[in-house]
Amino acid sequence: MMQLSQSAHILVRNLLVCLLICSASLAIMPVNAFEQPQELLIGIEPEHNIFDQMERYRDLADYLSVQLGIKVKLTIMSRYGEVLKRFKTLKLDGAFLTPYTATMAIKELQLEPVVYPVNLNGEYTSEGYIFVRKDSGIRSFQDMKGGNIVFVDPASMEGYLFPMAFLHQHGITDIDSFFNRYFFSGSHTSAIFAVLDGRSDIGAAKSTTFNAMTNNDPSILQELEIIARSPKVPEFTLCLKSEIEPDLRERMANALVLMDKTPDGMKTLQQFRAISFVKASKEDFVIIENMAQEALGSFMIHGK
Amino acid sequence: MNSLRRPLLKILLSAFFILAAAPNLHAGKRIGVIMTGDIPYYGAMHETFVTELNKKFAGAEEIEIILQRPFPDPISWSNAARKLIAFDVDLIVTYGSPAAHAVIHEKGRIPLVYTGLYEPDNTAVKVKNVTGCGFKVPLSSILRYLKRIKTIDTLGIIFSSIEEDSVRQYETMHLLADQQNIKTEKIDILSRADLDKLKTKEFDVVFITGSSLAHLWLDDIVSILDEKRVPAADIFPDDLESGLLMTLYQPSHTQGEMAAEMAWQILLGTKPSDITTHTFRETEMVFNLVEARHLGINFPIQLLIEATRVIE
Repeated sequence: MMQLSQSAHILVRNLLVCLLICSASLAIMPVNAFEQPQELLIGIEPEHNIFDQMERYRDLADYLSVQLGIKVKLTIMSRYGEVLKRFKTLKLDGAFLTPYTATMAIKELQLEPVVYPVNLNGEYTSEGYIFVRKDSGIRSFQDMKGGNIVFVDPASMEGYLFPMAFLHQHGITDIDSFFNRYFFSGSHTSAIFAVLDGRSDIGAAKSTTFNAMTNNDPSILQELEIIARSPKVPEFTLCLKSEIEPDLRERMANALVLMDKTPDGMKTLQQFRAISFVKASKEDFVIIENMAQEALGSFMIHGK
Repeated sequence: MNSLRRPLLKILLSAFFILAAAPNLHAGKRIGVIMTGDIPYYGAMHETFVTELNKKFAGAEEIEIILQRPFPDPISWSNAARKLIAFDVDLIVTYGSPAAHAVIHEKGRIPLVYTGLYEPDNTAVKVKNVTGCGFKVPLSSILRYLKRIKTIDTLGIIFSSIEEDSVRQYETMHLLADQQNIKTEKIDILSRADLDKLKTKEFDVVFITGSSLAHLWLDDIVSILDEKRVPAADIFPDDLESGLLMTLYQPSHTQGEMAAEMAWQILLGTKPSDITTHTFRETEMVFNLVEARHLGINFPIQLLIEATRVIE
């Protein structure tokens, strides 16, 4: 009996030692709160020609898949501006976002800005333009009263937020009574065409689209006049959700920033119509947030 | 006695016919209207004008409208203007530039409200007793869209050298084409026989100016162009769907409404010089996909997005 009791005691002691060793081992192992995704799903805000857009982004996704060893998939978000809703419902890991949606996503979804693509003109920023036909007789803010204005989308910095801030700076808080009519074109290109064709007296759109159109058809510059410009802001930002492992986020940023250093990367950049990527910074979005507070504080809240 | 009765009967019968043919001399207000041509665009404008004017007077005063739809040529426009001056109407309303100029040329004292006038600021209508509204359509947009549909080496321009507004449109489009190294082929329509020019001349696309003569024979023009598989764009709407590939136009109803407002004010005693003239710039753009398929043109989807209406 005495013998059994001693054996049991040794057994219990050994078990306790094992448990302590296991506990200690577990305690010194790092706790991983980040996700290790099998694939990354990246959203894209739709532009004027989504077929062309998908083509451009497809090669970039393939390049990233090889570099990261993780399948990178793309999806076009159904409508320009529904980023906050779509980001959750589509279970996205990240998205290429336009300035205002990036600002909202950073603030409300705690997304991390990772990189900006640098366009073929060497710029990663765009400006908002307010423009009119030269023969419209509109030269300043005062001449706009009673006219028609075309915006791009309630979620566009250049095509809505900036003109609203501009109006607010001039004391306008009710666009319904100030303008005869206002409408949303859905794309920057369409907003420019609407003014060119006389479907609207005043338009707002981003500088990069405006400049690309005028470079392609210089006769447009004979017809349109820019009467106000916004500060420069990042045109597109790749944002990733904060749950993505920092190491993976860093690897993705590096893979993109170093693209212009490798032949494969250069080829992909060419297809993407960019010359490089540069690292993003949250500070760049403060100006947009301030503009939103100024512009939309007195107006209806749009863009979510 | 019999010899006296016959001339008296003749005089009485003549007087009866004259009174029957003449407008109602007992009407409260009489408005003379001249269309440059009997075409759907001016027809729609007139319909809106009459509806709006009736709404404004709402039976308070009897309004008689004497409508003149002359064949589009200078003598007919002039005759129509003289006829209304002879009737001593209270107001003349015109649709299109040639009719307005015909009335102004007669130097009558009757107030004139012009409408359907292309770029009124660029034509001589700023005279006493005259006000009105017109429109502007950016012809550069028509050329821009045509270029996106088809490569253009030569642009055919259908116009009429007797219609002042049509000539100005021709000149503007010619200049635009020239700036873009596009050759132009002038197709001046003065009679139906001139449509044969369309069969012999060579062009990649055709622009139809707002000529009333051209629009009288629009079906024939489109039929010839269809045979040659040449797309056409127009500054007037294709209300009858003749088969134009694209139209960029100013909707007629807004001008009809404003003409009615101006007419109402003048009939109530406002001087035309106290009524500000207006140029409408809002446009509508219609693409005809049926015609595009017929011509074998693959319409870019980005263009369709810009359309106000697509005919499918």
